[in-house]
Amino acid sequence: MSKFSRRDFLKLTSVISGTLAISNLAPKFSLSGSGQGNELPNILIFVFDAMSARNLSLYGYPRKTTPNLERFAQRATVYNAHYSAGSFTTPGTASLLTGLYPWTHRAINESGLIARNIADQNLFRAIGKKYYRLAYSQNMWPNYFFGQFQQDIQKILSPAAFSLVDQVVGDKFGGDLANSHRAFDDFLFQDGTPPASLVFGLAERILLRRAVARAPTDNYPRGLPRTGNYPIFFQLKDVFDGLMTTVEKLSSPSLAYLHLWSPHAPYRPDKDFDSTFLDGWRPKQKPDHILGDHIPPGSVNDRRRNYDEYIANLDNEFGRLLDFLDAKGILDRSFVVVTSDHGEFFERGEEGHISSMLYDPVIQVPLLISSPGQKSRQDVTIPTNSVDIVPTLAHLTGNAIPDWSEGQLLPALGGTEDGERSMYMMDAKVNPAFGPLTIGSFAIRKGKYKLIYYKGYEQYKGKDTFELYDMESDPEELKDLYSGNPSIAKPLQDELTGKIEAENSKYRK
Amino acid sequence: MAIFKRIPGWGQVAPVYAVIVLMIYAWTIVWFFWKLPSWLFFLNAGEIVIALAYALATNLVESVLMLCAPLVMSMALPKQWFHDLFVARGAALAISGLAYMMYLANQFKTKDDYPSLTLKAWTLALALGVILLIVYLAGRLSLFRKLIELLADRAIIFLYISLPLSLISLVVVIFRWVV
Repeated sequence: MSKFSRRDFLKLTSVISGTLAISNLAPKFSLSGSGQGNELPNILIFVFDAMSARNLSLYGYPRKTTPNLERFAQRATVYNAHYSAGSFTTPGTASLLTGLYPWTHRAINESGLIARNIADQNLFRAIGKKYYRLAYSQNMWPNYFFGQFQQDIQKILSPAAFSLVDQVVGDKFGGDLANSHRAFDDFLFQDGTPPASLVFGLAERILLRRAVARAPTDNYPRGLPRTGNYPIFFQLKDVFDGLMTTVEKLSSPSLAYLHLWSPHAPYRPDKDFDSTFLDGWRPKQKPDHILGDHIPPGSVNDRRRNYDEYIANLDNEFGRLLDFLDAKGILDRSFVVVTSDHGEFFERGEEGHISSMLYDPVIQVPLLISSPGQKSRQDVTIPTNSVDIVPTLAHLTGNAIPDWSEGQLLPALGGTEDGERSMYMMDAKVNPAFGPLTIGSFAIRKGKYKLIYYKGYEQYKGKDTFELYDMESDPEELKDLYSGNPSIAKPLQDELTGKIEAENSKYRK
Repeated sequence: MAIFKRIPGWGQVAPVYAVIVLMIYAWTIVWFFWKLPSWLFFLNAGEIVIALAYALATNLVESVLMLCAPLVMSMALPKQWFHDLFVARGAALAISGLAYMMYLANQFKTKDDYPSLTLKAWTLALALGVILLIVYLAGRLSLFRKLIELLADRAIIFLYISLPLSLISLVVVIFRWVV
């Protein structure tokens, strides 16, 4: 065998570095670099899971939960009545990523999937190959979508990236993400039940619990933050540090979808924010709802306080991120989107978002979009929907607006304010994805009115039930106008039930 | 080497392996049927079959790994202690060991469960002692031995189903992973 000399080594390294320089393997420009090789803006989407707009001081909440989001708002377009089309992660995120309503994309069940024949109708495809496209979600459920979009995403970060302890296995099978996550993380190693894998699952479970017990929790009086549905334990600071590193390394132009678990339950703020809001404040008491869990108000209010503290903790970390983006000049070259996949609910005897109710706290989410170099705040008060994000971002990046999208261009970013526009929100998790929607909650928002339709519930003895609210004069949804205002209710009711029937007819033989 | 001569022939290994396969696969399949109703809501038949393929491929690896325990004991212990009674003692080891693992696995019912008492060194040592006692008795009590050998022998039928399915599953997983 011939000897590999130092000269050979130098030749080889020069060839490799030359090849890298002219290939796509080497990033063309760093997001944080000064080089502006092209005109395309970057897109950074930060999704904070289960962040209700109703609990943010940005939108007038009495507790000062989001001073840093307010700071960000000073250089962003703020949408003051933005709705998620779904009331939990699967439909909410799928609508955000496809521009389709849940009854179209069919990701309506917990950990469900987008209809296979339309999985190519997604944000990453709409933005196109000119962009380097990266996706990350701490919440496992969007990772099933990433698996479906795998052809349109260059890099999918593991949901366990930036975690302290985790038990995620599916990401080791990178070529088949959706199925491997399903088999391992949703079945063989699923937490919350005995492991379906007797040998590896048991070993993994014991090792996981021991690792969690050893993990540093001094900063977390309520325990280390974790994702609820899969075992990923993390510190918020580490996650944001990871995001900053990730964003800084991106080539330009890039699209990065970054979906954080927080402030989703379990609410575990660090010690600096735990007990921040022991202020005795109580929100307006609302009556129990027949579809609620009838939890006592005291308990609901305590949970609300924990949630608010977790939001404040998250906002503090977001402040660090904001400073970083500003210092690196990334804000000047990027559209930065901050939003959520659904809200959270602490009223009417209910807490969380696994609810059949569609009152605003569970579907109204923040939406702030900072355009490159934007220096002043702009407010949009007209209702908007998560299905609007795909067409808007496609438009902003010079792409054609996808003809499949059911959304519209967002006002102030290419769209116009349409006061007569109808938009829909729903929870239909108990229906099969492959059949008509026979039980569920549906809402339509048109102008200042919002009609909620409870369809097929046992509590109502299967009888169709409706509620109508004037969202301008009654934003807390306390005064049901349905029975006294048929002239307002009937057209909305006909439109909503007609839409549902039209969608259901596709699934009836 | 002499130690490898203590590896029993396939005729003796098969019944022990069959017991291991029966227990490991059965555990997974029970949980599969527990999971199936929710999956039917949003996964199509192909996706469910692929998930099952991952599970069966994992079971195959697990079962081979678990077979190493009686094989190692057969090689490590004096011939008349284990090798000469491989089916009875190997199957007894598999049954009692895997049953204990099932008991342990069943302790993790929620996201926060940690059966600290069950996983203390002395309780694990006690469990190991009981398992070894059962293994010992499987060679000493003829009725017990015959019963276990009969059971292990009957279990071989499952190998004809599980092995081909698992090998196909393994190919499917590797194909999907690589391609």
